[in-house]
Amino acid sequence: MSQVIDSREQVLERIRAATSIGTAASAGRNAAASADEAAGAYATLPREYVRLGDMTAKARHERFVERLREYDAEVVECRPEELAATIAAQLAASGRTKFVAPAGLPAEWMAAGLEWRIDRDLAAHEVEQCEGVVTACFCGVAESGTIVLHHSANEGRRVVTLLPDWHLCVVRASQVVETLPEYFALCQKVPGLVTWISGPSATADIEMTRIKGVHGPRYLNVVFVKDRD
Amino acid sequence: MSAVAEHPILDPELAPPFPKAALPVLRNPQLRKNVAHAIDVIQAKRARLVAEKQDWQELREAGAAIRDHVLQNLGAYLTQFEERCTAAGGQVHWATDAADARRIILEILREEKADEVIKIKTMTSAEIRLNPYLEAAGVRTYETDLAEIILQLGEDEPSHIVVPALHVNRSQVREIFARKMGIPDLSDEPKVLTAAARSYLRKKFLEVPTAISGANFLIAETGAVAVVESEGNGRMCLTLPRTMITLAGIEKVLPRFQDLEVMLQVLARSATGERMNPYTSLWTGVTPGDGPQKFHVVLLDNGRSSILAKKTERQTLRCIRCAACMNSCPVYRQTGGHAYGSVYPGPIGAILTPQLQQLHHAQSLPYASSLCGACYEVCPVKINIPEILIDLRAKVTDQERKTVGKFFDPMYVGLRAANVVFSRAWLFHAAQWMGRIGLKVLTHRDGWIYRLPSVGAKWTQTRDLRGLPKETFHEWWKGRDIGTRDQGRKD
Repeated sequence: MSQVIDSREQVLERIRAATSIGTAASAGRNAAASADEAAGAYATLPREYVRLGDMTAKARHERFVERLREYDAEVVECRPEELAATIAAQLAASGRTKFVAPAGLPAEWMAAGLEWRIDRDLAAHEVEQCEGVVTACFCGVAESGTIVLHHSANEGRRVVTLLPDWHLCVVRASQVVETLPEYFALCQKVPGLVTWISGPSATADIEMTRIKGVHGPRYLNVVFVKDRD
Repeated sequence: MSAVAEHPILDPELAPPFPKAALPVLRNPQLRKNVAHAIDVIQAKRARLVAEKQDWQELREAGAAIRDHVLQNLGAYLTQFEERCTAAGGQVHWATDAADARRIILEILREEKADEVIKIKTMTSAEIRLNPYLEAAGVRTYETDLAEIILQLGEDEPSHIVVPALHVNRSQVREIFARKMGIPDLSDEPKVLTAAARSYLRKKFLEVPTAISGANFLIAETGAVAVVESEGNGRMCLTLPRTMITLAGIEKVLPRFQDLEVMLQVLARSATGERMNPYTSLWTGVTPGDGPQKFHVVLLDNGRSSILAKKTERQTLRCIRCAACMNSCPVYRQTGGHAYGSVYPGPIGAILTPQLQQLHHAQSLPYASSLCGACYEVCPVKINIPEILIDLRAKVTDQERKTVGKFFDPMYVGLRAANVVFSRAWLFHAAQWMGRIGLKVLTHRDGWIYRLPSVGAKWTQTRDLRGLPKETFHEWWKGRDIGTRDQGRKD
């Protein structure tokens, strides 16, 4: 398909011409031939913004919970030994009976007396039948009240936190960082799939009136486990 | 139903010049009220959050530096993105211009035998006028963003890049939904309207196997794509279908995943006045068992590479489409977006649109500004928009100078005459003398001129002119006590 190759070559050639050493815009520098070559210049870019927060753990956890509540997420705190019971209580209070669980969700989190569908490649319409989902998470960011999912075995495939109307997420205090750069510092390997959740879905498209719950779960419940002070 | 009586023209090749296009809008108090209200809300929220952020200026500094670094090495980062995305199971296509991109996308859809697509809001697809092209080719397009549905069902055009339907109020939305969704006794409560949209779309999300998205950021290091949104329609479109097509301008790339730590902090605060938007999704190529198993990226040039080559203008491409500039613009506040005749309105539109058109069209846009600089103050990547506006005005003037028609334009005639007079001292003094006499007739007793005749009337329509003083500075200098000059030093 020579048409395709031509377009690619054309665009790259235009870019090369626009960023070569002779162009006024390039200010005497040549464009790097590869990303590796650009690494030197990349390393010297100014990053004076706050990387590491200075809140105490207690303050950080309070901030995280406060931000979540600002988004109308329901937050319940518990000690590690109370976790399963707290989840069970939240599930009971939801008034729902049919839940989907990620394939790697701890068995003790799946409270008895409810219908659980384990997500082993469920079809979308099967997930759609479920009224709620319970997951763990990778990390919480206190400054913005953000929950980060890397969609590992106990966090679930993306569809399970998308279709059900009610999402209960277990966040451990030890998973909470203060700033967004701290989250990125936690990622030893760059994740392939990420969903950052900051409150339930919302829109302000009609007269800037914020309406919750357009698509995606309208109810976000967080069980915050105080596994550290 | 649309605030403007005729359908707004957002094609820069066809749209009337800004002053002409703005006139019907200025006469529409409802529209101006809608726009002002929306802007006030976002501005207030943004201001509060920026005041709260101790390192806001440092984030802007880093954001500008990262974007400049990418632009300087754009070829390298794009080829790295292509390589990594391909290795992760994606297919990367390159489009030289809008027609090329449309053709590529249609070809993919034909291969998939798709006769319907669901779309996540993307201004880039509006830039290349994708929807009408696909519809003409027999592919139905379904917008899934609430604002985009309002516009699609209302047969209207976007007036803002983040809140595209901000010119539409709730009763107008109610009317559109009632009519097009067949719900005659729909209330105009935003909550009810939103719920109507939710049910209307649910079926589409679960059934349509092909989706088209834009991209907020492309990550070169891993070949990943990031989409920033509030409603969840994005997540629906990028998770449920079988085939995903992402259309992205070539300038959207960032070097590394970590660079999102800057961009995500400034984007939501600037765009919607939130610390973080509800949902941000990032995916890399194809993930077996999770999400679309066929993934295409279409990288779009369409004039961006020509902006890249320009010294002053290259920074235009730093833009992360937050719309803070238009929210802060006193001109935009009065006219709304349709007056700009482009899918990119406001200050960013005033510099981006004419440049994407290689200055063949939209030449009036760089003049749609008072150069107050509010846009520059709020831009999260520090684009010096006023500097570019001035440079573009110079380029447009250079262009006009060469245009035969403009030779006899009163402004150019006047400036050429002024050039002659100002470059000869005796002519200049003579003109001052004649001016003093002539203007005396028009000067009121209080020393002000309220109305000039003929072309001068354009000035005095909105400004008063101070009458000329009795003598010029030169005359005063010559005429003052000569005695003092000979005393003192005689060298």
